[in-house]
Amino acid sequence: MPIGLVRRPPRSDSVRAVEGAVVTTDDLKSLMAAVAQNRDKAAYGRLFQYFAPRIVGFMERGGVNPTDAEEIAQDTMVTVWRKAELYDPAQAAVSTWVFTIARNLRIDLARRATRRRNGAAAMGEPEVELVDSAETQTLAVEREAKVREALSQLSREQATVLRLSFFSEKPHAEIARELGIPLGTVKSRVRLAMAKIRPLLEGER
Amino acid sequence: MSLHHPYDDTLARYAAGRLGAGPSFVVAAHLSGCRECRARVGLFEAVGGALLEEAPVAAVRPQMFAATLRRIEGAIEPAQSFARPASPLDGLALPAWRSLGGGFQWRRLTLPYARDANVIMLKVQPGRKMPQHTHAGVEYTQILQGGFHDDFGHYMAGDCVEADDEVEHQPVVDSDVECICLAAFDGRLKLQGWVGRMLQPWLGL
Repeated sequence: MPIGLVRRPPRSDSVRAVEGAVVTTDDLKSLMAAVAQNRDKAAYGRLFQYFAPRIVGFMERGGVNPTDAEEIAQDTMVTVWRKAELYDPAQAAVSTWVFTIARNLRIDLARRATRRRNGAAAMGEPEVELVDSAETQTLAVEREAKVREALSQLSREQATVLRLSFFSEKPHAEIARELGIPLGTVKSRVRLAMAKIRPLLEGER
Repeated sequence: MSLHHPYDDTLARYAAGRLGAGPSFVVAAHLSGCRECRARVGLFEAVGGALLEEAPVAAVRPQMFAATLRRIEGAIEPAQSFARPASPLDGLALPAWRSLGGGFQWRRLTLPYARDANVIMLKVQPGRKMPQHTHAGVEYTQILQGGFHDDFGHYMAGDCVEADDEVEHQPVVDSDVECICLAAFDGRLKLQGWVGRMLQPWLGL
């Protein structure tokens, strides 16, 4: 399925249903709190049920093979359990935190594969923490809801190029060839999409 | 306070984990000193979280949850908030400068997690012109000390400059102190002039 060609209905605070039950961003936060504070396995099970299939779907959409996608999903969920205390609800939505874990694991997996080919020793990239002041963090919570709203307002073309930034490693020139549009058009669409999202940061400077 | 920042699409690709190791390193160096760009990366990570929520819900093997539970059984590693480097340069072993003559020195950085990444540091005496060059891909430059100008603008410590194949420039160092830059390339750099001819074989271009 071509990336980003499916328009999704505008979404409010609620996210898609898990087997009938609607899971909201607040539900996810409560589940995370139960895991962090009480090591609640039932809550962890619900987080797993929600995220594991989506991480696999997300990775496959980004060109990761099914075996690796499942490994990334499992490693992500193990990390969610082990680092539950490090999740800061004031900093980001649970989905955003889980996304960053899965993203880092995908990069590690790709680099391990490259190193194996080159016969070099394994070594992970040190993470650079992006934590900022409490003031910035409070705004980060509001931002999560606004991001979803802004995404739903992108034009189809803007949504396509924005999603390609997430799901493709291809340089813009290649994306342009694939979509059959000039390079300048790709660049301007990416920047237009960004321009719609970026005002969400106003007031945070 | 930086005046020149990575483009939004570059920050989005960084947040998405889709920027190469070398360019990511330079962007991380910029982020360590730029709160505004840290906030933007946080925003694009939130976009990643939203895209994860709307990812296709893949079918996962029923055994996967049981396997994950086995991995989290027993020892919970204490979630330690270990001190992370503020800049990717912290703690990285830097080789000695190599002279290119004529007021230029350079060194190639080896990223332990991505040894094939092309990341270099260039140190240029005040008043010197860098070799006239254009780019086959994108060149990402973070200025660590001093400053320079070209036909397009003036850049100082803390600034990040992206130059692509539409840019042909010859930066001139105009600070009182030596200008030290960190640079990485997404594609091949096409250098002209004598410095270019000396660097080219080293970069394997």
